[in-house]
Amino acid sequence: MTPMTPVMPSSPFLCVITDEALCPISLAEQALKGGAAMIQLRHKRASGNQLFLWAIEICKLCHKYHALCIINDRVDIAMASNADGVHLGQQDMPIAAARQLLGHHRIIGISASSLKEAIQAQNDGADYIGFGHIFPTSSKKKDSAPLGTETLRQTTTLISLPIIAIGGINHENAASLISCGASGVAVISAISRAPDQALAADKLLCSINSSLS
Amino acid sequence: MNDNRTKKKASLPRLCLISSGEECADNGTLLLKQLALLPRSLSCMVQIREKKLDAKELLTLARKAREIELPEGTLLLLNERIDLALAAGLDGVHLPENACSATVLRTIAPALIYGCSIHSHSALQLAEEAGADYLLFGPVFDTPSKRIYGPPQGLEKLGELCQATSLPVFALGGITPTNAPLCMEKGAYGIAALSLFHDTARFAETIEELYIHLNP
Repeated sequence: MTPMTPVMPSSPFLCVITDEALCPISLAEQALKGGAAMIQLRHKRASGNQLFLWAIEICKLCHKYHALCIINDRVDIAMASNADGVHLGQQDMPIAAARQLLGHHRIIGISASSLKEAIQAQNDGADYIGFGHIFPTSSKKKDSAPLGTETLRQTTTLISLPIIAIGGINHENAASLISCGASGVAVISAISRAPDQALAADKLLCSINSSLS
Repeated sequence: MNDNRTKKKASLPRLCLISSGEECADNGTLLLKQLALLPRSLSCMVQIREKKLDAKELLTLARKAREIELPEGTLLLLNERIDLALAAGLDGVHLPENACSATVLRTIAPALIYGCSIHSHSALQLAEEAGADYLLFGPVFDTPSKRIYGPPQGLEKLGELCQATSLPVFALGGITPTNAPLCMEKGAYGIAALSLFHDTARFAETIEELYIHLNP
């Protein structure tokens, strides 16, 4: 069987990353209802079996909504669940090894927090770059200062790969990131902690699209 | 069945060394030191189990371990992660009870050896259905690191479990050269240990001493 090759969205999009504190299934479903084009399953503390079961469910949901299902760190789980790809941090498996296992029919995204890391990821053969954090964020403990929109603009100018901006993004600042050349934005708490997650995703997407007009 | 797998399975070593789990980022030294000290005439299963390392560090350590010339028949296994095991060219993975099932993983990596930790009869059944190549059962005896989970499972339970399965069972937990023969009498295929091997000054000696008791 030839696997369907997943394709990165062609217009500015929303990526929703799951929240360690919440069930990822209902969050994914609400985010997809609100128009998210990519769900990243990220649960550092979940067991392998739990991750696999979640990944299978989220893949099904994503494909129903014509969205992409990406697994954080665990290339094994991405392979087992036949997900669309993996998202790798700087401390995860190097791209070369992941590419050898996944082939070219799967998406590999890399976290970068500097232009240098972004260039490295591009040279290593990544399919997209998660770039941040752009604004101050409470979702992850950070020991560096936010990169800001100017660094994002410089990076999108110099890098040809799709860049997904991450870190402290909400419906008020999302449009500015697309204007800086980002192909999409990734959020955790802006959706997961919203009283109505689908509505929050829809609102963010409206903001993303407003930058185009 | 895959020929390679049958061959490997038939010749599983009877001693399983599990790495300490204490390695830090810049210090994969204990495991690598142990591997270099393995007696040349004896084969071991070596399970790399370093929960403190992230994937990148783990892959580096696994690749370094693979580069060491090991005694014939020695098998290198990684805890849970088939992706890293494949990338480092290891022989298999050891799956904790809550890992993704060997049935699923074997579809991706059919040539790997799959071991399963079991703590109960129901887990035994699941591991058998999943086509495990061997089982790891414990803690058989008292061991400080496992006290938080309650009393040890004991020799009787080890015996019941070995009776209930045709798969090779490795006894784990508080194993010493003195009590290893008791596990073998109960039907264990072999024994597994971590801290027993920490004293690298006596490492080869300990392994040789254990092996005296590990023949069927």
